[in-house]
Amino acid sequence: MQLEPGKNHTQLTIDFREYLDGLFSYAVVLSRNRTEAEDLVQETCLRALRAMERLRPDSNIKSWLFTILRNIWLNQLRHSRSSPNAVDVEGDENPVHRIVDTTAKDPYSIYLGNIEREHVRDAIQQLPLEFREIILLREYEELSYEEIAGLLGCPVGTVMSRLARARSKLRDFLLASPPEKRIAGGAIETLAWDPARDG
Amino acid sequence: MRACGENCARILSYLDGRLRGQELDDFRSHLEECSNCLAKVETERALSQLLHRSRPLYSAPAELRGRVAAVVEEHATSALARNGVAQGVLRLRSGWADKAWRVARLRLLAASLAVAAMLLAFVPHFVRQARAADYVETAVAAHRNYLDGKLSPELQTNSPEQVTAWFNGKVPFAFRLPRAQVTLQSLPAYQLTGATLVKYRGKPAALVTYQKLTERISLLVASTDSAVVAGGDEVRAGNLIFHYRTDQRFKVVTWSNHGLSYALVSSVSGSARESCMVCHQSMADYRNFIPGP
Repeated sequence: MQLEPGKNHTQLTIDFREYLDGLFSYAVVLSRNRTEAEDLVQETCLRALRAMERLRPDSNIKSWLFTILRNIWLNQLRHSRSSPNAVDVEGDENPVHRIVDTTAKDPYSIYLGNIEREHVRDAIQQLPLEFREIILLREYEELSYEEIAGLLGCPVGTVMSRLARARSKLRDFLLASPPEKRIAGGAIETLAWDPARDG
Repeated sequence: MRACGENCARILSYLDGRLRGQELDDFRSHLEECSNCLAKVETERALSQLLHRSRPLYSAPAELRGRVAAVVEEHATSALARNGVAQGVLRLRSGWADKAWRVARLRLLAASLAVAAMLLAFVPHFVRQARAADYVETAVAAHRNYLDGKLSPELQTNSPEQVTAWFNGKVPFAFRLPRAQVTLQSLPAYQLTGATLVKYRGKPAALVTYQKLTERISLLVASTDSAVVAGGDEVRAGNLIFHYRTDQRFKVVTWSNHGLSYALVSSVSGSARESCMVCHQSMADYRNFIPGP
């Protein structure tokens, strides 16, 4: 989302709807807990609204929102002194949303798509936090390497190498999944790469 | 020609369109000669396509959308109330706020009058903050007296039902501790230890005491008619807003719910959910309040 040019700090236009799925996904990836994720997103929006007047007109709102969410989560983690290991992300969302999201597709495609998505989610949630996080930010939210580096507070080179390792690990998890989860048009099999195959 | 391993490291950059000029030409040339790297490019491309097809990773639930919409609307309305009279220019919009904005414009006159009424009635913001600080001060003083042995619980019990019965008729509000409904074998040991009465603004208030290991905790409860909670670091948890502050080295968490104001005082930090656990650990819904990861 961009700010409208020429507007001063108190005349921002933010459409939070544009970011809710992304923020919620990031919160789930960080906390691995849907209830906590909802609280994180709500608190993020609240703090963003309060801090909006201090925002520079040329700010990247998406990165800013994700940074707020990450800082809140880190603060809460410090307060609770808990580890991010408890997972309750399964059995999750309202199926109505899936239907609304996919009304343009035929039922079989919807079915395959849902299976595939579940499969990908499962694999991502098996990754270590730093890998889950970077996969979400880059592959789902399409933040640039520079934006991710700013958000995570690390060099761009670290972002690139971490992303490469995260993708490699994710591919391993996807390929290691049970065969019954690989029915989505053989998509998972295309991830197999055997360096010995082609010499 | 670059070594194959070096080119492999460029595959993501290539797929991201970050290679330019000679670097891009060199990489393409390498792909024409190296089936190994070409296969790797295809698998990486397939992975990206798979991930992109599964967007969004999670969809924000309708309840969350409603909660955020409410936050936006509340902020838009309060912003208008704060600035509308003086400037009339603050525009705060979102998809929901478009509606909120229309509603808020209709409310502008009412909000302006409300602000004017507040100013005329000399009830500015700092009065609310001062009253909140007063409630915290009372809670901390009671806790300190409890720690120093100057204030002993008149009722010493670990039974919530006995505490509820004991306060019945002693305080000018309905106060009930949740009954124990589950076994607590695996839960944090917030042990109810007793209860007593304290005065707040000339009226009886309830002080309930707990213990967690060696840490003593007190919970001051008074009616929202007299006790105000505000300020500090605000944290929302569900429909509640918790206010965190440190006062005289004590950690104080205040919140209000169902007409009662609560002030939890201890020497340990805790999350909003942990605050809830002090009372709710024995309720059937305790799982909703277990601190998350």
